[in-house]
Amino acid sequence: MSHDIIAIMPELMLIATAVVILLVDPLLPVDGRRGLSWLGIFACITAALSTWFSRGEEFTAFSHGIALDKYSVFFKILLLVVAALAMLISEKHLFLKKRLLGDYYALILFATIGMMVMAEAIDLITFFVGLELMALSSYLLAGFFRYQERSIEAGMKYFLTGAFASNFILMGMALLYGLSGSTNYQEIGDAVRLGPIPEGPLVIAIMFILAGFAFKISAAPFHNWAPDVYQGSPTPAAAFLSVGPKVAAFAAILKFFTIMLGSQSDTWVPLMIALSIATMIVGATMALVQKDLKRMLGFSSIGHVGYLLLAVVATGDSGRTLGMAAVLFYLAAYTFMNMGAFGVLVHLANHNARFNDSLDDLAGLGKRHPWAAGVMTLFMLSLTGVPPTAGFLAKFYLFSAVVEAGFAWLAVIGALFSLVSAFFYLRVIVFMYMRDSEQTEEKTDGKSWDLSLGLGIAAAGVLLLGILPAPVLNAAQDAVVKLLGN
Amino acid sequence: MYDFQEQIGFPILTVLTFLPAVAGLVMLLMRGKPKAYKGVALAATAANFILSLVLIAYFDRYTADMQFIEKVPWISSLGVSYHMSVDGISVLLIMLTALLSLIIIPASWNYIKEREMQFFVAFLFLETGLIGVFCARDLLLFYVFWEIMLIPMYFIIGIWGGPRRIYAAVKFFLFTFAGSLLMLIAIVAIAYLARANPYATPVFDMDLLEKSIFSYQVQMLAFLAFFIAFAVKVPMWPLHTWLPDAHVEAPTAGSVILAGVMLKVGGYGMLRLCIPLFPDAVVTLAPWILVLSLIAIIYGALVSLVQKDLKKLVAYSSVSHMGFVTAGIFALNLVGIEGGIMVMFSHGLLTGALFLMVGFLYERLHTREIADMGGLAGPFPVMAGVLLFFTLASLGLPGLSGFVGEFLSLVGLFTYSKPLGAIASIGVILAAAYLLWMFQRVMFTKLRDEKWYKLPDLSLREIVSLAPLAILAVWAGVYPNTFLQLIQPSAARLTEKMAPYMAEGGSAVERIFASLGGLF
Repeated sequence: MSHDIIAIMPELMLIATAVVILLVDPLLPVDGRRGLSWLGIFACITAALSTWFSRGEEFTAFSHGIALDKYSVFFKILLLVVAALAMLISEKHLFLKKRLLGDYYALILFATIGMMVMAEAIDLITFFVGLELMALSSYLLAGFFRYQERSIEAGMKYFLTGAFASNFILMGMALLYGLSGSTNYQEIGDAVRLGPIPEGPLVIAIMFILAGFAFKISAAPFHNWAPDVYQGSPTPAAAFLSVGPKVAAFAAILKFFTIMLGSQSDTWVPLMIALSIATMIVGATMALVQKDLKRMLGFSSIGHVGYLLLAVVATGDSGRTLGMAAVLFYLAAYTFMNMGAFGVLVHLANHNARFNDSLDDLAGLGKRHPWAAGVMTLFMLSLTGVPPTAGFLAKFYLFSAVVEAGFAWLAVIGALFSLVSAFFYLRVIVFMYMRDSEQTEEKTDGKSWDLSLGLGIAAAGVLLLGILPAPVLNAAQDAVVKLLGN
Repeated sequence: MYDFQEQIGFPILTVLTFLPAVAGLVMLLMRGKPKAYKGVALAATAANFILSLVLIAYFDRYTADMQFIEKVPWISSLGVSYHMSVDGISVLLIMLTALLSLIIIPASWNYIKEREMQFFVAFLFLETGLIGVFCARDLLLFYVFWEIMLIPMYFIIGIWGGPRRIYAAVKFFLFTFAGSLLMLIAIVAIAYLARANPYATPVFDMDLLEKSIFSYQVQMLAFLAFFIAFAVKVPMWPLHTWLPDAHVEAPTAGSVILAGVMLKVGGYGMLRLCIPLFPDAVVTLAPWILVLSLIAIIYGALVSLVQKDLKKLVAYSSVSHMGFVTAGIFALNLVGIEGGIMVMFSHGLLTGALFLMVGFLYERLHTREIADMGGLAGPFPVMAGVLLFFTLASLGLPGLSGFVGEFLSLVGLFTYSKPLGAIASIGVILAAAYLLWMFQRVMFTKLRDEKWYKLPDLSLREIVSLAPLAILAVWAGVYPNTFLQLIQPSAARLTEKMAPYMAEGGSAVERIFASLGGLF
């Protein structure tokens, strides 16, 4: 087999599975479709294994289109975990909402392929293809409950803002190509570093790309779509959308800014600082006033993007690997805790037909659903950043990077907003354990082993990353030591 | 080197720390066996208390070195290790923690009606966090335990507390968390500054950090970050406002642990981290901290004087008593530091006992308003006697533990500065005033309700839970050497560490002005 095929082996597996799912789906009765999620999950597992076994390899493929290195391996496995978790928590919900279609899993797989390509790309065109594949699949996922107005609205909103953002990135990329004469990250990086390149257009290119990415990761002031989209989308899809695209976008942001445009850090670091502070402010303060849990988690995820941007700031000098490793570890922690928190919402929606994602619906949950309340507490504590959870170590590691890079004042601001955010995460716990419920449930048979397994994996991930973080931490550190083709 | 292998042969600190948590997990798996879990909780805390006595027995009290050392790498790429070890101060406080955790189990045997099992589980996790803090010798590990103890207490106040429990629980959490976050950043900052070179791993080991020397500016900033975190816990005026709310709303057992041990964690942190790591900053800021401590002593006492709620009175008296702790510690001499530690120990015993008494009264009368009580010595003679004992001990009657600590702490303060010492002494007089007046109004005066004669006096279970506290209070009052011996080498090491920095003399007022110069 040629190098090219080996490099995209995991992606090929996912494509094959997605196509099989699409072909088989119409032939199956509704009950028969319930196994399709496991087909997708097995595809993710095998793809993750094949990625894992290629972790020693280091080469570029498709004539410097993608790089297979430890960095790609880290992100590909993380993204496959996201996809597998998303499928685990989806199945029962789709069944209950009578939208159990194979298309859903195929879309998740296609989006995942797009994200993986974004993470491993070292060429602007390849990157953009991945970005669009991810984006188009995501729009469809957001609007998947097509008979619900809110879901359609979410899909439409996501599509319009997303397309807008893609154009910004495309615009910036076009400028970069015009300035450097290449679409290859490394060649662009060299051209920018060695010059001579006109300052003005370069700054504009950087601003375009940054704005586009800010849309994609929902950084303030480009964040307004995110809570609406998460609120309107099917809950399991919202879980996927609030994690996957952000992970992939940060993989690309590090490659774009830290590595490719590292020599221009004087230009983008101040912008990134402003974005980060604005994002933390919006995320923490807006989440305070939300009554809808999905909106609350939406703003909370905006807050976390603010922290992640802090770590990106800390990578300003391209020699600093600590900041990059902090981003990687934070994304891993964020994956488990955020997927988990959304997963609990799915669980509750499955069990209670009256559940409409409002905070009041959580009242007395500690008695009604002790296990769900227990893991939700864990996820909330992790999102707050309390030890011994993944969220704490991630935040600790991130603050380390920020302080080490000489931005202690930024870390203090981050800590301040993490205090504000503690308030609304705690409020979830207050409702679950310290309030009694006034309304009754309308019980539905929502029992789902898949979902329980997904929540179990997320909870275990949160605890493991919090108590024994060494393997993931070392993987993150190894991943950023040497990025190929940059 | 005092390795645990040589000293005792098994990792006693790890067992002490995690035994309660493991018991708590076992209880969680025992769903559906309603009575057995109380037995598990009692057995686990009793075993832990015995272990803490074993720890003291094997403890070498003639050295200031850290003992029973356990050290394994935890996150090696960050230089974080699982490093546990104790000195005399930690040993004393571990014993206190284990004792109070044991006592509250029988004390709340019938008190909690709802979600009983979770209540006991929360206390077991709390004990793990508390003992962990006293054992941790790695800064990150210290922080982890520091935060872990926050969560169970939050639940204890928020679920089993009084009518305004949610407000109190959230306030408690946010106050403490705010302090902790600043501390976290300071921890990260000094860990990276203490590196030998920019490529080395950060230093979280306290042994190594104590040897590093930080610049004056770093010391001031980091000291303040740590100090605020600890001052919230102590709590020092003006960061004390969460305390009365938390105490009034918390269930009895929660108050006992909160006042008995959790406040001490603040004083312990100052001794363990603030003084050894930032000596320059300590010298500059000590006069200011003393002034704050004096305000706490006087203010706490005055506010106690006017409280209508018995529990609030005891809570504010804690603010006053803990003022003696910080005053003693930041007098920065041997007597003062020993006094501060003794006040911590004695306050843990006595305030724990007072909160238990308040709880027992509440279980009978269903009120905590002092105005609703009166003449209780008639129906409850035994209770009156016991309360009198703890009241007298708490106001500093010679021969009981309260006296020793406050006396030493005042001597230390007088050595540092006579005017400050004189002001602090007023606090002792005020303590006598509010405590005796409280006792008079509750136990003497006219009996308000004849029906109270039908209520039972202290039961055997209640007496058993108070007895160990009374015995220790007498012991520490009559022969304090047993306890002073434990802490003396560690306290001496702290003063030795401070000695070279204490060159500048002058009165406290002069020092305050001198430090103003240092600030700007």
